[in-house]
Amino acid sequence: MPELSYREAVRDALATAMRQDDGVFIMGEDIAEMGGSMGVTSGMLEEFGRERVRNTPISEMALAGAAIGAALQGMRPVAEIMYEDFMTLAAEQVVNQAAKLRYMSGGQLTVPVVFRTQGGAGWSPGAQHAQQLEAWFVHIPGLKVVFASTPEDVRGLLWSAIYDDNPVVFFEHRTLYGIKGDVPEKIEPIPIGKARVHRRGEDVTVIATGRLVHESLAAAEEAEKQGVSVEVVDPRTLQPLDEETLVASVKKTNRAVVAHEAVTRMGFGAEVASVLQYQAFDWLDAPIERVGAKFSPLPFAPVMEQFVVPHMEDVLEAIMRTVGRGN
Amino acid sequence: MESGTIVRWLKSEGEPVAKGEPLYELDTDKVTQEVEAEASGVLLKIAVAEGEVEVGRTIAFIGKEGETVAVEAPAPQPKGPDTETVSDTVPEPKRVSEPTTNGRIKASPLARRLARERGIDLASLRGSGPEGRIVAQDVESPAPAAARPASPVASGEVQSQPLSNIRRTIARRLTEAWTVPAFMLTVSADMTRANELVARRRELEPDVRVTVTDLLTRVCAQALVRHPGMNVQYTEDALLSFPNANVGIAVAAPQGLVVPVVHNAEQLSLSQIAQARGDLVGRARDAKLRAEDLEGGTFTISNLGMFEVDQFVAVLNRPQASILAVGATRDQVVPVDGDLHVLPMMTMTLTCDHRAVDGATGAEFLKTIKTFLEDPGLAL
Repeated sequence: MPELSYREAVRDALATAMRQDDGVFIMGEDIAEMGGSMGVTSGMLEEFGRERVRNTPISEMALAGAAIGAALQGMRPVAEIMYEDFMTLAAEQVVNQAAKLRYMSGGQLTVPVVFRTQGGAGWSPGAQHAQQLEAWFVHIPGLKVVFASTPEDVRGLLWSAIYDDNPVVFFEHRTLYGIKGDVPEKIEPIPIGKARVHRRGEDVTVIATGRLVHESLAAAEEAEKQGVSVEVVDPRTLQPLDEETLVASVKKTNRAVVAHEAVTRMGFGAEVASVLQYQAFDWLDAPIERVGAKFSPLPFAPVMEQFVVPHMEDVLEAIMRTVGRGN
Repeated sequence: MESGTIVRWLKSEGEPVAKGEPLYELDTDKVTQEVEAEASGVLLKIAVAEGEVEVGRTIAFIGKEGETVAVEAPAPQPKGPDTETVSDTVPEPKRVSEPTTNGRIKASPLARRLARERGIDLASLRGSGPEGRIVAQDVESPAPAAARPASPVASGEVQSQPLSNIRRTIARRLTEAWTVPAFMLTVSADMTRANELVARRRELEPDVRVTVTDLLTRVCAQALVRHPGMNVQYTEDALLSFPNANVGIAVAAPQGLVVPVVHNAEQLSLSQIAQARGDLVGRARDAKLRAEDLEGGTFTISNLGMFEVDQFVAVLNRPQASILAVGATRDQVVPVDGDLHVLPMMTMTLTCDHRAVDGATGAEFLKTIKTFLEDPGLAL
């Protein structure tokens, strides 16, 4: 099995699709010569040329709209929104157009577009460049939302997103680009809407997304040393949500922690907790714990950023609270 | 029997099992019993680790070593609720605090469900979770009473004990029976010859300890055969008549009242009845009765004579149509042909379901019992 970084895995999915399919192309701010702000599309200009690796003006609304138009005409565009904070600028096109057109046209139109974007704390990019806004988009009927946490998942899911006939908002986490992992020789599509159980456990289920998957796996290791067996599940697709896998896990362990980097309040985790309490009510032996960022704009100062967003220790504390050993 | 509660497994997954070996403990509304394996092989998978389960659900798979099984697939009732496994590796809770008791008991949903399924009163448990919350572990292995403050229990303090399955069943069935229109008939029998017979049988067969209850069982079985109108059950749709006299004997077992049944008692000799009765009562006291020991009864004898009770009225053992309450045998002055005799008299009261049995039918039946007891040769 080859080993790829998360960054290389994204690039591999894009390039492989572009090699086999003329309808797939990428567009975004500074994605050509510069290779994107995170270097994901480095080298792709040389291979695919300017027609298919398109730099756009600094207008997220315009580039999102252009991508939607291309998708309506039968292309499979992948638009990069440099920071997910800037999804707010693209929101009109994504929320009001991409998400609605198939429905409003009675199925005559399809919008097979992918909006790739990235965000997250860790490098102190400040309040306008590090948010986690997936909860905004899971709230919109008509959009699919993916948030992959490993090289294997990001490649297989991006492939499925490109070939999905519906608009997909595809979140990547900035701090994960460098992590490495084994991937299958050939790209194996990972179905949208299927969670992944990273680790089996008996006492507590941690449902985590993005960077928090890795924090949760580390917390699970630590909890194991203290005699608590932790199951870690990554939904991978936030919309549609693989409720079955999550509920089955919690019915087994009777306890749940939901962990994401985004602000806890009104977050994606609230919806997961609601699904669990309703479908596994009689199986719950402790209140569902939620781990997320404090309700604050992200501070620029590294120590403050560190304080606001959750880490392994926060997940571990939540795990321990569910088994009655917390503070 | 519609459901039972799996108390614990006596074998673990992967362990070899031989047909007939005890496999798990089952608590039904009648009895707690060890259930034997129906096949030999390897216990591949336990589908229901514990808790209540309806009859017909697949609870485990026995097969060849290395065979894989799909847990849900062969369940005969696909509508069954999801199987669930309760983790038994819950770590020791660190903090223990008293539950807040301002009316509401703090308990997790899982703990509430387990308590409901097992008939345990949450109020009788002590919560070990945060803020004294009762969690599943507290239901599964309640802290012993000694965990309470060690000071001696104040005199007059009300002790609360969770209801066992058997206690709930007794309550439910007897409450149901109380709604049945019933009548009672009382008769006294001269037990001179019955006592002689029992004493003589003990001399002849010291190994088989024949008792008055055995003779009563024999006598009642013969009387039922002669009065088929008594060997019946009332149902909403039909009156059921039974071909055999399956006589239940009420036994005060440590866990509560149980009524094991001597099946086909009309075909058994007195010593066969004594052996069957000895076996059933012994296993009732050891809580080793099997479900089939408790099923199929058509009539019940409840004998409190050994407790010096003169006479009493028994509550119907539904769905049976009648029950005989037997008191102690006492010497009484009885006028016989103008003379006063001192005779060992036993008073019996027959309770009948009036929907199934009329007074005269009951009276004739009771008269036969009296005649058989006073002249036991007629019933042998």
